[in-house]
Amino acid sequence: MDQRWRPTVNEREFIEQALQSDLRVDGRRPFDFRKLKIVFGREDGSAEVELGETRVMGYVTAQLVQPYKDRPSEGTLAIFTEFSPMADPAFEPGRPGEAAIELGRVIDRGLRESRAVDMESLCVVAGKHVWSLRVDLHILDNGGNLIDAANIAALAALSTFRRPECTVGGEDGQQVTVHDPEVRDPLPLTIHHLPIAVTFAYFGDGNIMVIDPTYKEEAVMGGRMTATINSNGDVCSIQKAGGEGVMSSVIMQCLRIASVKAADITSKIKSKVEDYTTTKALQKVKRTPALVPKKVHVPDVAMKESTGALENQASKTSNDVQQISKGDDDQQNMKRNLPLTGDRTVKHKQTSTCIGGPSNWDPYSKGVSLSSLRISQLPDPPATVKDNKQEDVELMLTESNPEVKSTSNSGAAGETDEAQESRTPKSLKDAVKPKHKRKKKQHGKS
Amino acid sequence: MESKKPPPSALVDNHVVPGDVILDLADMTNQTIKLGAGLRQDYDTIQATSAGRLRLSKPNKYWVESSQKRLPIHVIFFWQYIPSVEDTVLGIVVDTKPDNFLVDIKGPNFAFLPVLSFEGGTRRNIPKFEIGTLIYARVVKANSIMNPELSCMDASGKAAEFGQLKNGYMFDTSTGLSRMLLSSPTCPLLEALGKKLSFEIAVGLNGRVWVNAPSPSNVIVVSTAIIRSESYTQIQQKSMVENLLVKLS
Repeated sequence: MDQRWRPTVNEREFIEQALQSDLRVDGRRPFDFRKLKIVFGREDGSAEVELGETRVMGYVTAQLVQPYKDRPSEGTLAIFTEFSPMADPAFEPGRPGEAAIELGRVIDRGLRESRAVDMESLCVVAGKHVWSLRVDLHILDNGGNLIDAANIAALAALSTFRRPECTVGGEDGQQVTVHDPEVRDPLPLTIHHLPIAVTFAYFGDGNIMVIDPTYKEEAVMGGRMTATINSNGDVCSIQKAGGEGVMSSVIMQCLRIASVKAADITSKIKSKVEDYTTTKALQKVKRTPALVPKKVHVPDVAMKESTGALENQASKTSNDVQQISKGDDDQQNMKRNLPLTGDRTVKHKQTSTCIGGPSNWDPYSKGVSLSSLRISQLPDPPATVKDNKQEDVELMLTESNPEVKSTSNSGAAGETDEAQESRTPKSLKDAVKPKHKRKKKQHGKS
Repeated sequence: MESKKPPPSALVDNHVVPGDVILDLADMTNQTIKLGAGLRQDYDTIQATSAGRLRLSKPNKYWVESSQKRLPIHVIFFWQYIPSVEDTVLGIVVDTKPDNFLVDIKGPNFAFLPVLSFEGGTRRNIPKFEIGTLIYARVVKANSIMNPELSCMDASGKAAEFGQLKNGYMFDTSTGLSRMLLSSPTCPLLEALGKKLSFEIAVGLNGRVWVNAPSPSNVIVVSTAIIRSESYTQIQQKSMVENLLVKLS
């Protein structure tokens, strides 16, 4: 059974007849786009685009792979399309149909050959590791003009995508460390411009054209052309597959219209992406202002607690060093450590109730963990410990003043890289992890 | 005769979902109720089997008006329209066989339209329908095992408006909306439109609507108004049409 939607004779005739007098069946004028709606998902790099009845979801993922031999310092970008039969009965499950391949190719060409996404910035180690971007486009509902909708979905998803930061290190300088998004903020892609696909449908003998055809118009049209163009008016690609022949003057006219539409859509995508990034950024810092005043009310207590904690910290670090030098499986040390930890938990409970500030101001999070000590201990253990203590004091002093804190943090950049690194990740991690859990972990390690 | 009227269900004109208990038969004895689409008797209760708005036609007819989206025909669980006898539908001819026309009525299967089921139809004067012809017809046979059968005659054998629809524009809506358009008294939407514009309309219970008017712009106005009124209340429909007509003039 052929499940394609069949236009009736009446519809065919009416659509063409109405177009003779510049009318379209959904009430638009020939060069009007349907209503565009962009919704971003909860995660970075996913977007759902509604263009009238058409709905497309775009999703971007990244993976570290070996680059192609001929381009050792460039990342890769691949478009995958998924045409579900739920979107349109004409789509068969399994093998991608002709429409799916054409859509993927048009979008791929628009993005890649215009070099919209900076590929060289996706390189981590030339010839060894590059990021490979995968854009999945799911057609959720076919209301016509899938190419434009899918193209917008791909662009919106790419503009909100953040790839995890990674650093190169190790003995041979070739080892890649991928940082957890909670440890280091993921990085956005470099997108030079947004190539927008604008589709025209031709009716009659190519004399009548409309922009953004609906699925009914697509069933009736004689030919179609997709121009991919950016807001500067640069033509990135043109796709005209079969159908009625079109005069070159008509194509030039189409390109002029397309560049206007592309500017409109570009600004729309950009404003949506901006909204999304600001809300995301606001979500991150939301806790700080609410909690600062609380702290101001009880400055005395807070200071007392932190100074107490500082002493504790000092004893703890030296204790840890001792422990390491004695050997990891020293039971006695463990026991000596235990009352201390108990003490710490009590202290912490007090601090958390009266300070209530973000936990990265908490002295303990700045404390040296056993693992980081083990690393830093080998060349010059006392120096490192001292370093850390100094840091702690510095932080303690500025604790009641969050603004100063950030500057002192950047000022402390002169310390060893390792110390810095061990501090930054922990402060963020502790923001979500309950204290007692962390402690258990330390026990497990020692 | 029953003297007292059965108490109407509390859920009338509200949205119901499958499994909702509409009526409890235990506390209504000696009463007759008639069940329409989307309802089912389960022992002493009447339950909804589809999601939609519960409707009551006084005194005792209940049904669930559901709106279903354009969906694949082969997905059996998501039939858009389930044919039932005496429904008037708009069908599209998809194939011609010696004895029957195969007609798509948005149901789970194609419907058969016997070539002789036209007024005065004989072997000699079989109508010629090309593929894609729009037909207004009546369902005469509908069951779960056979393809439904259509007829272009009323019960007395007259053509009575049935048959091919020429010109005009056909569009798909939900089954719920088409029922609303056919409701009596005439729905405020069509009444408000009819006061200002002249147009012909044919509504099939399978969610297809055909509109014809002298000028294409009127057809487009009417069809847009109908499509937009899907989720509107009667008052909203009226004000929407008024706004639309003001914009036009």
